[in-house]
Amino acid sequence: MPLTETSAFKIARRAAREIAPGAVVALDRGLPELVARVTPESMGVWFLRADGTLNGIPLSAADAAAIVRGGYVDLAIVHPAQVTADGRFVGRLYARDASIAPPGIGVDLASGARRIIALHPQINEDEPEICLASHLLERPVDGVGGIDRVIADCAVFEPQGTEFVLSEIATDRQADDVVADSDLSEVVSISDYPAAMDFTVPSGTPESKVHADGASALHDLPDGVTVFIDGFGGPGGMAHYLLMSLRDRGSRGLTIVSNTAGIARVVSFGTPPGRTAIDHSVLIENGQVAKAIASFPVSPSVSRPSEFELAYRRGEVDLELVPQGTLAERLRAGGAGIRAFYTPTGAGTLIAEGKESRTIDGRDYILEYGLRADFAIIRAHKADINGNLIYRGTSRNFNAVMAPAARVTIVEVDEIVEPGQLDPEEIVTPGVFVQRIVKRPDGFTGYE
Amino acid sequence: MAFSKLYDTHDAAVADVRDGATILVGGVAKSNEPSGLLSALLRHDATDLTIVCDFSGWDGSETIPRLVKDGRVSRIISPYPFLGAHGGVIPELWELGDIEVVAVPHGTLAERLRAAGAGIGGVFITTGVGTRFDMDKESRSIDGVGHVLETPLRADFALLRCHRADGVGNLVYRGAQRGWNSVMATAARTTVVESDEIGEPGAINPELVITPGIYVNRIVRAAGAPAV
Amino acid sequence: MTEDKERLDRAIMAMRVAKELPPGGTVNLGIGIPTLVSMFVGDDSIVFYHSESGVLNCGPLAEDGNEDIDLINAGGQFLEPVPGMAYFSSADAFAMIRGGHVDVTVLGAHQVSANGDLANWMLPERGVGNIGGAMDLAAGADKVIVAMEHNDRNGNAKVVEECSFPLTGKGCVSLVVTDVAVLEPTPDGMVLRETAPGWSPEDVQEITGAALIIPESVGEYEV
Repeated sequence: MPLTETSAFKIARRAAREIAPGAVVALDRGLPELVARVTPESMGVWFLRADGTLNGIPLSAADAAAIVRGGYVDLAIVHPAQVTADGRFVGRLYARDASIAPPGIGVDLASGARRIIALHPQINEDEPEICLASHLLERPVDGVGGIDRVIADCAVFEPQGTEFVLSEIATDRQADDVVADSDLSEVVSISDYPAAMDFTVPSGTPESKVHADGASALHDLPDGVTVFIDGFGGPGGMAHYLLMSLRDRGSRGLTIVSNTAGIARVVSFGTPPGRTAIDHSVLIENGQVAKAIASFPVSPSVSRPSEFELAYRRGEVDLELVPQGTLAERLRAGGAGIRAFYTPTGAGTLIAEGKESRTIDGRDYILEYGLRADFAIIRAHKADINGNLIYRGTSRNFNAVMAPAARVTIVEVDEIVEPGQLDPEEIVTPGVFVQRIVKRPDGFTGYE
Repeated sequence: MAFSKLYDTHDAAVADVRDGATILVGGVAKSNEPSGLLSALLRHDATDLTIVCDFSGWDGSETIPRLVKDGRVSRIISPYPFLGAHGGVIPELWELGDIEVVAVPHGTLAERLRAAGAGIGGVFITTGVGTRFDMDKESRSIDGVGHVLETPLRADFALLRCHRADGVGNLVYRGAQRGWNSVMATAARTTVVESDEIGEPGAINPELVITPGIYVNRIVRAAGAPAV
Repeated sequence: MTEDKERLDRAIMAMRVAKELPPGGTVNLGIGIPTLVSMFVGDDSIVFYHSESGVLNCGPLAEDGNEDIDLINAGGQFLEPVPGMAYFSSADAFAMIRGGHVDVTVLGAHQVSANGDLANWMLPERGVGNIGGAMDLAAGADKVIVAMEHNDRNGNAKVVEECSFPLTGKGCVSLVVTDVAVLEPTPDGMVLRETAPGWSPEDVQEITGAALIIPESVGEYEV
C-alpha cells in the first residue's frame, strides 16, 4: 500500500512534536524533509539538510558534517529500512549487496546526533519497505544503538533492548489490531496504557539570545573554567567590552586559550596616543588567569614585556605553547567532533615531546587532540537575533574557529539585526554555534 | 597579465588528465554540475579513472553513468554510489567485477577531502564505529570511546562548478552548490572550475569569497554562460 | 680578515630573495627582512601574498591614514586594501599552509643547520618565546627560504653544523640568503652557492659555524 499524503503528513506532524524550540534537527533525504514543512517558523528550529544547507544558509560538505559530528544536532530524523529492538538500523536505500549500499548521511547522523528517531511510513506486511526486527536480517548495520523512537502514522514504538513497546496509538485504531495486522506480535509488546497519538502542530518559541549587557551574558561564568578569547597582534577582533565585563565579574583560576596572551597593549598598533589597548592583560593584572594556551604568548620585544610575561616570570601563571596552526586546527577539531589528528607541524621539535609520532607516506606527523571549552568570548561585526554572524576583514581569524568549539559562545558585535537582514551567502558563523549576543555599547572604543 | 588562470575551452582545461587519475567531481545534478568539463572528459580518452562524487547517477545527469558505461571508470568513491531500487549501470558492472565501488559515509568523505587539502595526516572520529564502515580500519579507544582513523583522500583533479570567479581564482557559489565544490577545491593537485561568471580581481567582495584563489588552478566559462 | 669587509644591506638581501619567487606562486612573508621582499617583486611578475592573519592576495603596508584594525598581517601591521583579496578563518589560513598550497615562505632565523634544520622561535636566554605560525610554515610550505644576517649581534655564526637553539622544523630550509652569501642546505651539508661582492668562499667559511661544501664554481650574489 503506497504512502498516502495524509499519512505522511501525520507522521511528519507527530515527529515535529519531538522538537524543542530552537533545537538543531538534521533531516535525512526523503520523508524526513516533510518535518520541516509542518514545523512553525516561530519555533526557531534549525533544520540541517543532506544538501548541506542549514535553514537556507549554504555550508560546505565538511562544515555541514562538522555540525553533526561536533554534537550540535539535538535530533536526527531518519527513514531507515530496518530498526532493531536494540536501536540499530540499516539504511533505507535498496542495494543488492550490503557492501555497496549507499550510506548517505545516515551513518553520520547515527554517530553524531544526540537523539535519533525513525519514521515508519506504514505498517504493512506486503510492503516491507521498513520493518521492525528483533535482530537485523542479512545486512550489516549503518547505525548502532541510536534509534529511540519509531513513528508510524498509527502508532509509536520504542526500542527497549529485546523488544519494542507500542507506546502511542492513533485514536481511530486499536493497538492489538495494529500489531496483529502487521505481523509484529513477535517483536512488539503493547504498553499497558498506550497514549493517544497527537498530530497537532507543535508550538513554542526559543529563548532570546540577546543580552542587555556583558554582566548578564557572563552571569554564570564560574571560577576554574576554560575560556576561548580571540586576540591577534593588534586590537582588531577582540571582544574588548566583554573582556572588561569578565574582569568586573572577577571569575578566577581561568585557563585562557588565545593566539596571544595579550600583546595588543605592548605592541600598541593603532592605539591612539595616550591610550592603552584593552587586551587579556586586564584579566592577568586582576589575578584571574591560571594558565594560557597560546602560540604567541609574549611581546615580540624583550624590552617591553607584557603582563602575561611578567606574571609568568613570577610563577603565577602556566603556559602551554602551541603552534598557531595547531591551535587553530585543535579548535576546529574540537568543534567538528574530531577527537585527534596527525599534523606535520612541530614534528622533530620540542612540541613533539611526549606526543605520539608517526611517519605516514614518508612525512613525519605528531598526534594532536581537539580542544573544547566551556565558554568562548568572541568578537564579530554583525549578528542577527538568531546568532548568525559576519565579521570584518582579518578579525574573522580565530573568532570563527572558536565559536563552534565552546559550549557557550558569547559574541560582542557592533550591530544586531533582524533575521533575514544578513544574506545567507555571507553568513560565516551559523547561529547554532552562538548562544549569547551582546551589542558593544555606543562609544566604547577598546582603549582605556 | 603575465600570468593567467583562464582557459579558453573545457577541453584545454582537462587535456592533461591521464590514465589512472583520481578525479573529484563537485556535483552531478543541475546547477551544481561542471557539465562543460564533464562533457570534455567524455570526449577525452583517459581511462582507468577513479571518480569521487556525492551522487554518481542522480536524476537527469547521464555524465558519470556514461563514463562508466564507456568502461573509463575503474573505481567510484561516494556516499551514494547509486540510487533507486535497481541502481542502473554501476551495480551491474560491480556485479561483473568490472568496477570497484567504495561506499563512504557523507561526512567521512567530506572530512577525508578536507584533511587532504589541509595537510592533516589522518583523523580519529567516531563515525561508523560498530558498523560496516569500521572494517579494516585502525581503531583506538580515546577516553573510553571507540574511534577509527580516517585518512586523507587526495586527488589529481577536481572538476568543479561555481557561480562567479574573479581573475585570481577567488570563487563564490550559489546555495547548495557550495557543498562539495568548496571542499573538493582544496583537495586536488589541479583544481579546474567552471564558472557562470568571470570577473576582474576585485569583482568579489573579500568577505564573501568562499574558495580563495590559492586553491584554484584553472578557470573556464560555464557551458552556455553568456560572455561578460 | 673579514671584519672590514662590507656586508650587504637588508634591501639587497630582500632583492635577492625576490628572485626566488615563482610567477603565479603564493608566498608567505615573515616579519623583518622577509617583509621587505614584496617591495622588489617586479610588476611583470604576479605573486600572490598569503598572511596567516587570514587574508590572501593582500597588498602592501597601509599608507598613513588608511589603517584599519580589521586588516592586518601576521605581525599585526596594517595592510592596504587591494582588489582580489579573500578573508578566511585561522583554521583555513593554516590549512592552506599545512596543505602545501603556499609555494614559498620567507622567514628570519636565529640558526640554520647544515642539513636545513631551522631555529627561529626562541632565544634560550629569554626562557619563553613565540612560535606563532613559524612551525606551520616550516612544516607546510613547499619551499622555505631563510633571510637573515650571517652572524648575530655578537658575531656568532647563525649558519651552524647543528642548531643549539630549540628547533622550529627539521630539514625544512631549502635556501639561506644572508648579507654575505647564498647557501643551500643539503643532506650532505651546507653548499655555498653565491658570495657577496668582495667575499671569497674562504671569507664566508671563516664566519660560518658549519663546514661549507664549496663547489668548483661559486656564483656572484645576483640581484
